[in-house]
Parts: sequence; structure tokens; C-alpha cells
Amino acid sequence: MAATSVPASSSQASSPRRWRGPKFGLALPSIFWYGAFFIAPIAFIVFYSFGIKDTTSTSGVPIDMGSPTLQNYRDTFSETFRSVFTTTLRIAVLATLLCVVIGFPVAYFLAYKVKEKWRTILLALIIVPSFTSFLIRTIAWRIPLSTNGTLSKWFQDWGLIDRGFQILETSTAVQLAIVYNYLGFMILPLFVALDRIDPGLREASKDLGAGRLRTFAQVTMPLAGPGIAAGILLTFIPMCGDFITATILGGAKGNMIGALVESQFRLAQTWPLGSAMAVVMIAAVLLALAIAAVLVFLVRLILRTRRGVTVQGVQ
Amino acid sequence: MTREHQPIRILAPEGFGQRLTRRGFLQVGGTAVGLGAVLAACGGGSDSGPESEATTADSAAEGAGGDATGILADYSTVINQSSGNLAMYTWGEYNDPELIGAQAEGALGVSMQVSSYGSNEELIAKLEASKGTSGYDIIVPTGPYIPQMIEKGLLEKFDKAKLPNMANVDSAYLGQDWDTTNDYSVCKNWGSTGYMWDSSVITEDLATWGDFIAAAMGAGSGNVSVLDTAVNLCGMYFFANGIDWNTEKAEDLDACEKFLVEEFAQHIKGFESYPSSKMAEGAYALCMVWNGDGRQAYSRVEEAGGDPSVWKWALGAPDTEIWMDNYCIAAGSPNVDGAHAWINWILSPEISIQDLQYHGYNSGMKNMPELISALAPDLTRGEMIFFEDAQVQTMHTQKITSAQDRLVDIYNKVKAAAGA
Repeated sequence: MAATSVPASSSQASSPRRWRGPKFGLALPSIFWYGAFFIAPIAFIVFYSFGIKDTTSTSGVPIDMGSPTLQNYRDTFSETFRSVFTTTLRIAVLATLLCVVIGFPVAYFLAYKVKEKWRTILLALIIVPSFTSFLIRTIAWRIPLSTNGTLSKWFQDWGLIDRGFQILETSTAVQLAIVYNYLGFMILPLFVALDRIDPGLREASKDLGAGRLRTFAQVTMPLAGPGIAAGILLTFIPMCGDFITATILGGAKGNMIGALVESQFRLAQTWPLGSAMAVVMIAAVLLALAIAAVLVFLVRLILRTRRGVTVQGVQ
Repeated sequence: MTREHQPIRILAPEGFGQRLTRRGFLQVGGTAVGLGAVLAACGGGSDSGPESEATTADSAAEGAGGDATGILADYSTVINQSSGNLAMYTWGEYNDPELIGAQAEGALGVSMQVSSYGSNEELIAKLEASKGTSGYDIIVPTGPYIPQMIEKGLLEKFDKAKLPNMANVDSAYLGQDWDTTNDYSVCKNWGSTGYMWDSSVITEDLATWGDFIAAAMGAGSGNVSVLDTAVNLCGMYFFANGIDWNTEKAEDLDACEKFLVEEFAQHIKGFESYPSSKMAEGAYALCMVWNGDGRQAYSRVEEAGGDPSVWKWALGAPDTEIWMDNYCIAAGSPNVDGAHAWINWILSPEISIQDLQYHGYNSGMKNMPELISALAPDLTRGEMIFFEDAQVQTMHTQKITSAQDRLVDIYNKVKAAAGA
């Protein structure tokens, strides 16, 4: 179209087809979508969390909202349930760190070391497993890990272990599988971030006398920062709410809050307690992310003041 | 409370015992004495008079000789054709896949979709939330939950003219407290609760719920699974301690919570309503099971290349549960005709026994011992399907009481404490 050859600012002023509505107009479809299917349900969950279980209710929801109570929150914060929150956060934080540690070298390799023609194939190999259902991939872990499984028998034959694997139905199984389940969501944003870094910047760093490690630490890493942050958000948040991995592999010991919430809503039909747990979990995730953000900010601040050179200065 | 003085309520026919035992033993005859002894107590036929007894004896003799047509003459075997889709909402692994698949399509012309739930509460909540638009045709609630479902209008009344094969169900399993006229429900099968243990890990002989608890906290610690329901988890404690499992007393419930949360939970490895396939993987050494799933475990262990003989089974004692699941039609069912056709079909003796061989629960057909020796003479582990009279006397039906929410509360806490 002709408009494309005109500078953007004047095109907006003169084009007869320009958007005349309010600027957020383009976001209306997603505002509607998130409003109806995200904000409203969350608002209901918050509302329900103050109710009392009532299976005789005829409203279609097994809750009596007649006398709002904080009891569900008191129960959620009781020592019994607190331990499940602690386990969940521990598993999710450790898994996120493992994803960064495992995912970063892979993304770095893909972005800088692999020949162009192989890159697409390797990226496809990372994405293709997610064509299979999450559930199936998780159930598949039961085969190699099972106590009486082939792998377990080989290990026993080779004398590596005395008795069959004792991994399933523990938090170790959940930890292993959850890293696998979410690793792709870490690698892809990291790869995109690294790939977008202008190679000239790294060359300049070398020309100015920085070694490999220094270039990595002071140029590549800081520029990949948004990618790391995106990866962490994309993995940590769904991990905290994941109930499939915990339900299928975790047994009683690898219980996570997502599985506990699911059993409140489905098996036990205690929606109010399940809602309170969900609300607390959302708050806990936000808090954990806020703490992480503050830590990152402080570390940067300290580094800047000590070095006297801002990272942005490189750019 | 007056409740304590009430007689024990069980799902057994009157005179469930010796009369049937003797008759069953004699009729099955020499070819299947072992099986006969096992099956003898499974009862049935309490409605048949002396005349029909003679006929049955003849047909059973023929049956043992390999001819099943004789005994089938005593049963209604009507098959009504239908069409369209049929959606069933039921418990996990609860029908022979053929009977909810190709075979149903071939015999009745209906194409079935099956999905499953994990608790009666879940079933009721789902039906209630959809207010007759759930899309399910056939549902399978447990007896004590039926009255509230009728009251809430969640069930469609049967058109009994379309269910002639209901006559095949032993009268002992018809007209239960929850639906005395069977206007809304008919017995799918009934079962009980016990446990299984790997005798290479737990070498003691176990017999009671007390033994189960001791082994779970002893040799089996950390390798224990319990049923994933509040009533069964708490029931284990009540039965072991001689407390009525339908207790509503605060002190009983408090003691149950204290014991399960503080002392027992840490030994639990999994909450499993159907542990059989994981037993084959070697995940557990001690599992609380429903008898049918426990029976399936033997074949699963064998298929996985394990040694089924190390697994021992005990029915819960001194007292344990009895439950009956029932076929019902969901209110608003899109295919009421198909639902009737399928339920009627599954109540015909050959289909019922085919299903029984898969799920391992007593499907409540009349004259069960004769039927089994005629149609499924090589049925294995019948002692896990058919219980002796003395065992049935120790089984108690769950009641929906004011303690329901408290039990769920205890179950929640045990789940959380088990992961700590």
C-alpha cells in the first residue's frame, strides 16, 4: 500500500483509513476474552473462598454464601496445609533453576554454535515432543521409573543398585518430570533473546579486550536478561499450579498444591477451601516473583555501583 | 443414640447361608466341587421355589457338561435394538471394554462414549451444575446417594416395560432401602473392601484392619496405598477400633483425625482408588482395595512379568464395608431409549457374566453359582468375588450422615500430612 512508504507519523495523520476509536480498541477482543474467561472466574474463586460448603445447595454450586467466613483461609494457613505450599514452592523454584541451568547452554548452542541449516531441525526437535499430550508424556515417565521396569532391572543386573528404583510416588519423580515437562518453555524464549543480540556487540566486546567469560558475563547475559525473565515466568507460574505431574507421579509424598486444589473441587466437593487455597497460591506466586524481581534489582544496583560501569552503557 | 441399638443392616438376602450353600454344593456337582464350595455362598435364588430348584439343578448339571442353553431358559434374554450415541458416566475401569464398545454397537446399534468420575459427590455436582444438560445417559451412583439424587430430580424414571431383563436380578439385590421399587435404579454390582499385601515384604499373616494398620506402620511403612475416598480412609480406622463406621460422635471423629493425621499419614505412599496397575509396577507392598480391583491386580502383576503368588488378599475384618453401585438414567438424557436398551442388555445373564469376569464384582444375577458354572466354569479367584455368608454378615452399608463434611475434612488433612 502507498501508506507504507510515508513516515509512520504522517501516515497516521493523513490516512483516511486510520483507526478513529480509542487506542485500546484493538485490544478489545482480548479484553473481552480475558474478562469473561479469566477475570470473572478468578473473581468467583475469590468470592467462593469466603463461603461454606453446602452440598444441599440447589444453586448448582455446592456453596452457601449466606454468612461469609475467613475459616477457609485459617484452614489453608494451618500447619497441615502449609507444608504442601512449602513443598510446591520448593519443587517449582528448584525446577525453574534447573530449567535455566539446563536450558541456557542449549539455547546458547542453538543461537551461536549451530550451523544455520541444522538450527531449524534442532528447534523442531525441541518443539515436536509438545505435539504429544502433556498427560501422555507424564504417564510415559512411569515406564522407565517403575520399580519392576526394564531400566530398573538392567540397573540391578549391572549391580548399580541393590533393589528396584524407589522413585515413583516421591517428590523426586515430580521434580525430574516437571523439569522435562517445562524445559521447552525455557529454551525457546532464551533462544529468541540470544538470537536477537546483535553479533556486533559481542565482537565489540572482544575488540575492546574482554575475554570470553567477561563478554559472556557482561554483554551476553545482561542482554539475554529479558529472555531469562520470560522463561522463568513461563515455567515457574504454570509449575506452581501443575497438578498433572504431581497426581500421576507424586503419590502421597510428591503432593503439590495444584493437586490438592483439584481434589477439593472434584473429589471432595469442598469448593470454598479449594478456592481459598487457589487464592493463597496465586498470592504466593506473585509474592515469590516480586521477591525475585527485588533481588535482581538489588544485585544489579550493587554491581553497577561497585563497577562504576552500567550494563546499559554497553548498549 | 438410638442408632447403636438398631440391628446391623446389610445387603444380604434372608437365609443367605446354609440352605444355599448346601444346594449350591450339590447342584454344581463333581466337575466343579472346588468352585462350587467357593461360589456356594454367593447366594441368589432366594426367590425360586422348590419347583424351580429342581429345574435349576437339571440345567446346572447340563451346564457343567458344557451346554449353557439349559440354564438360560430360566432367564429373560430380551435384546431391544436402539440407535444413536450413548454417553455413560461411571467409575474407572468398570465395564468390559467390549461391552461399552464394539459389542454394544453390534448387538444394540448404539455407539458409546464413557467418561469417569472419582466420587459420588463429583457425579452429583456435575449433574446438578448442568441442570439436566449434562449430556450423560447412564450413570452409576452408589446406593446411599440415590435418595438425594431422586429428590434433586437428577434421575429419570425407568420405563420398566423396556427392562424385562430386570427379572434376572436376584430379588435380594432389588428393592433396596434407597429405591424400594427400583423405579430409578437397578443393581450393577456390589462389592466390599479389604487389602492386599506383598508377602515377600510383609511376612506376617494379616487378617484384620488392625493388622493392616500395624503392617502399614511397620514392615510396609512408606509402601502403602489407601483408597482415595474419605469414607474408606476413616472407615479403616473405625472398623479396626470396633467403632460403627457411620458414627456421628465428635469424640470418635476427633480420635480418628488425631490418629490418621498425626500417626498414620506419614506411612502412606499413595491415595489410589484403583491401585492394581501400580501394584504390577512394584509401587506398593500393601494396598487397601475394593475386591474387584484387587482381583484384577493378580492378572496385571502376571502380565507385567511379576509373581502374583506373593500377593495375599484379606477381606477387612472384624467388620468392613458393603456397597452397591446401580445403573440409573440421568435426567435430561438425550437417548433414553438407548439407555434402557443398554441397561436391559447388560442385565441378560451372558452379558452380565462376561462383564463380571472383567470387573470382578458380583453382578447380582439370580442363581449365580449355576450361572457361573455354566457360563464361566474356569473363573479364577472366585473367593474375591463371592463372599461367604459369615463374611457378608460383617459388612455394613455406608449412611449419609451429618459427619460427611467432617470425614472429608479429615481426608484433606491426611492428604496434606502424608506429603509433609
